[in-house]
Amino acid sequence: MTDIKEEIKVSGKEKPRIGVYICHCGINIAGVIDVEKLRDYAATLPDVVISRDYKFMCSDNGQELIKKDIESGLINRVVVAACSPRMHEPTFRLVCKEAGLNQFLFEQSNIREHASWVNMNDPEGAFKIAKDHVRMAIAKVRNLKPLQEQKVKIEPSCLIIGAGIAGMNAALDLADSGYKVYLVERTPTIGGHMAQLDKTFPTMDCSSCILTPRMVDVARNKNIEILTYSEVVDVQGYVGNFEVTIMKKPHYVDQEKCTACGACVENCPITCANEFELGMGTRKAIYIPFPQAVPGQYTIDMDHCIQCGICARPTVCEPGAINYDDKPEYLNIKVGTIIVATGWDLFDPSVLEQYGYGRFPNVITGLQMERLLSSFGPVLGKPVRPSDLKAPHSIAFLQCVGSRNFREGGHQYCSRVCCMYATKQARQYKEKHPDADVYIFYMDIRAFGKGYEEFYESAAENYGINYIRGRIAEITEDEDHNIIIRAEDTLLQVPIELKVDMLILSTAIEARADADKVASLLSIQRSSDGFFMEAHPKLRPVDTLTNGIFVAGVAQGPKDIPDTVAQAKGAASSAAALMAQGEVAIEPYYAVVMEHLCSGCKSCQALCPFGAIDFDEFKKVAVINSALCKGCGTCAAACPSSAIIQNHFATFQLDSIISVAVKESTVQNGGN
Amino acid sequence: MSDNVEKYIKRKVFKGLSSEIAKKFVDAGLEKIRACINCGTCTGSCPSGRRTAIRTRSLIRRALMGDESVLSDIELWFCTTCYYCYERCPRNIPVTDMIIKLRNIAVEEGYILDSHFGLAYNIFYQTGHGVPASGEANKKWRDLRESYGLPALPPTVHSYPEAVKECQTLMKEVGFVDLLEHAKQLKEQRSKQT
Amino acid sequence: MKYKYRYGFFLGCVIPNRYPMIEVSIRNVFNYLNAELIDLLGASCCPAPGVFRAFHIPTWLVIAARNISIAEELGVNPITGCNGCYGTLRDAWYELEHEPELKKSVNEQLAKIGRHYTGRLEPKHVVQALYLDMGLDYIRDHIKYKFEDLKVAVHYGCHILKPSDKRPWGGKYEYPTFLDEIVELTGAKSINYKEKFMCCGAGGAVRSAIKEVAADFTREKLVNMRDAGADIIINCCPFCHLQLDLGQVEVNNFYKDIIGEPFNIPVIYITQLLGVSMGIDPNKLGLVKNHDLKGVSPFIPIEPFLDIVKEQLI
Repeated sequence: MTDIKEEIKVSGKEKPRIGVYICHCGINIAGVIDVEKLRDYAATLPDVVISRDYKFMCSDNGQELIKKDIESGLINRVVVAACSPRMHEPTFRLVCKEAGLNQFLFEQSNIREHASWVNMNDPEGAFKIAKDHVRMAIAKVRNLKPLQEQKVKIEPSCLIIGAGIAGMNAALDLADSGYKVYLVERTPTIGGHMAQLDKTFPTMDCSSCILTPRMVDVARNKNIEILTYSEVVDVQGYVGNFEVTIMKKPHYVDQEKCTACGACVENCPITCANEFELGMGTRKAIYIPFPQAVPGQYTIDMDHCIQCGICARPTVCEPGAINYDDKPEYLNIKVGTIIVATGWDLFDPSVLEQYGYGRFPNVITGLQMERLLSSFGPVLGKPVRPSDLKAPHSIAFLQCVGSRNFREGGHQYCSRVCCMYATKQARQYKEKHPDADVYIFYMDIRAFGKGYEEFYESAAENYGINYIRGRIAEITEDEDHNIIIRAEDTLLQVPIELKVDMLILSTAIEARADADKVASLLSIQRSSDGFFMEAHPKLRPVDTLTNGIFVAGVAQGPKDIPDTVAQAKGAASSAAALMAQGEVAIEPYYAVVMEHLCSGCKSCQALCPFGAIDFDEFKKVAVINSALCKGCGTCAAACPSSAIIQNHFATFQLDSIISVAVKESTVQNGGN
Repeated sequence: MSDNVEKYIKRKVFKGLSSEIAKKFVDAGLEKIRACINCGTCTGSCPSGRRTAIRTRSLIRRALMGDESVLSDIELWFCTTCYYCYERCPRNIPVTDMIIKLRNIAVEEGYILDSHFGLAYNIFYQTGHGVPASGEANKKWRDLRESYGLPALPPTVHSYPEAVKECQTLMKEVGFVDLLEHAKQLKEQRSKQT
Repeated sequence: MKYKYRYGFFLGCVIPNRYPMIEVSIRNVFNYLNAELIDLLGASCCPAPGVFRAFHIPTWLVIAARNISIAEELGVNPITGCNGCYGTLRDAWYELEHEPELKKSVNEQLAKIGRHYTGRLEPKHVVQALYLDMGLDYIRDHIKYKFEDLKVAVHYGCHILKPSDKRPWGGKYEYPTFLDEIVELTGAKSINYKEKFMCCGAGGAVRSAIKEVAADFTREKLVNMRDAGADIIINCCPFCHLQLDLGQVEVNNFYKDIIGEPFNIPVIYITQLLGVSMGIDPNKLGLVKNHDLKGVSPFIPIEPFLDIVKEQLI
């Protein structure tokens, strides 16, 4: 770790003494551009006191060249002409800092991607463009001013939105590391979709058996504050300092008094559809979502409750916990980091009319099949078919329903888990009914994970599940509601017509219906598939592009439980790494209002996409919060009084680049 | 050669896959054909496939893989263009349009049924109608029209000879006549060879 | 007389030259509904999508453009009573709208015969005009008599529905209901039968290639319609009409060994059914035979339908 010197005083008013360093980048640049000629050209430009070239500027030796020139007092501005600043800008900035020069008096000019690599067959053209880039960088650096990075404190607490398996795992890791965690969940219980599963592939662990102990761990952990039946309604602030408003929805049952005895349920006269059972079971208007729910207290669904008053009678609810006058409660908290673990929704296959979902009773989704197989589901683990409640003798699965679908209304991506869960459900059904005929209609079987291919092999060899390579084209039913399948067995190259008792559609998992609202609430992006976007698909899978906000689990894209837990742990680790530093540096590219020029028109405030501009009613000027400002430049461009200057990208700095850029005409007749 | 050799020894192995046909699709802006993953939805949807030997997916596959025999198989002409395959393809490939283009290529190579050739050359080109009411053989249809109070000939090309000429000019311009005559030549050459 | 609607009547081939009763019923029903039908003089074969598009797409495109340009000259939307012509005109119109280079070259060809194509007038189908332009309420106001007990097997055909992205039905093609709704305005019951939306088998050059193949499609449809108890078949395409009518005779011949009793279900075009319900004289709907010609349509007698009309309607 090199010492960071006391910074050389550069006021920005003295004469610039620019050092230019042309990198060969091996043959990446030097193979196309005459780097020595470029170096000599740079030396002719005004204010350039030294111009060098070197094979690899990012190497120790290359960095030394710059450092020596700064330390000797030769230069007070640095231009490196090399690769993209996204690669090495931080490297060279650190060199300047270590040598004692303000790191924002540095400019990197990209002559690799922008000159050499795009003109590999035209060295003359590449050279001309490289000259332009170097000239522009020198013009900019001449006008740069020294800037200081701001440091802000980070709150040692984290908000986790979503208490499924991802949210719970992230919460436990962070809580165990000593951070305070607010775990917000929209439904009345933690646990998420995993609570609806019966067994998990490939180990065939009972899902509840591995989930509920975690749920209890979460409930017991002193550092985790569980806020179920709650939603995040507002998020302000910035990394390390998020101000969050949480709405706690009214349970209409006092959560302190309720002992979860269940007497209210027995007496409630209203029966309605049970969303946990996906419409295949019922519940009362007063309920808990499933027996192992955490917290175990009850909730009244006011959309169905008729307030008859029966549950409120002292003979029914002894602790007197019923409260029809319950109101939502708002909680304001301050957290340092946020993890988004909001999970998924199931695709509705009724839009694919050829499969008859919603038209023919014996066509169900994979998640509905899970509930039928579940030992605490509507049929207590003895699956029957909807039309006559008899156990089907033959069942078929159709893969890729709504996934890998390039049509309008379909999802182009692969949902990743369906091949495995169909194989698992097929195997479970065979275990219960060894004589049943089970078919899986597929385009490809994706058994990519640990133990998955072995699981798939065993399903065919040991359980006799019939895998037919051919996507079902259409479904009809006969008078007894048996399902008639039309498909092509593409391997036999024949059309087939198969009659089965029940059809299970392995439907796609998709982003939550309100993902767009959550994205705009948090100012995070979504990918084209609708899921939240990671900062970099390979190297930063759990970061978002918003500092301090992380994403984990299916909220980022379809994945199975092992990958979800891995991401949850990754997000917790990233959040902890940030919070452990105690403070974070903010880049100084923010915009600044020159108050004496501001006319108070408020145009900038309306345009700021990050809500970073306030209005000082007393002075009648705009005020920019430098920590919230992301340096997008919108306000600076829009200000009719030219009263806003953006650090490092001020109009006069950009003008200087433009005026030298068009000096030499590089392209004749549009180029080739 | 022994009978068994005739009967059993086939040696059918694809050695190299050129696809002139695939290139024609790409040039015509139908490169979507290359996105086919052979899921079989098209064949599964095909009402003709249930009763004849047409296999929609195979036609596409053979076109992509350069199996030129796809142009001469009669199954290519058993598609009624009902468009179910087009509607249901998960890769959003306009399958029916691919079959139609494949038929175009087949005709270019001289693979056209006699009945179709006659329809195009002797009826459509000559009269401007695909199902005409002109000529001696069709007098009963003209009489039928009159029995319902309609004029014997409809106000189409049948009543306007200059309109027939317009259609014929267009068909010559766009190369239809040349195409048909070339196809006829190729057909005759082939039948001489066999 | 001031008309409420105005269209250019594109006749095609099968309607005027083989099933003129369909032409007569469309003209009279539209007149009754206050819709003017202007003749498109010199129009040719659309050209038939199954045969001619399969032989040479550029020919198909330029002849279709010529036909539409005749309607454009008269300032009317071309309307057709045939799914095949609808498929051609609509698909050609769509393609030319989305490929400006193609439109340019088609216009260069049309210039040689002194014509020009703009694409500003959408080609329509008779059923589209009835359902979308006029609407069920408007038609219901013109219904005078209703059937008491008529079981109809409705056959949509293919090209009125697909390709669904080029049709006006909002992308819906699997289980449409618009033709059934029009039929039920007359009091008739549209019955459910197996494979209701299956192709009749005529299109795509199949009928002109091998009649037996097309006839097997028709056989399957007729078996299902008979099993469901259909009194009549209603369709909206003259080629389907031909395939179900003349094709019924062919099925009775080719497949007599497997069909049991020969079929004799009357095949009626939608405007013929609407017309009787509106109180229009059956003579003006092509339902009454007043000639001695042999070997002409209809090939399956439609007298049984006329009997039902006499019994139930008047």
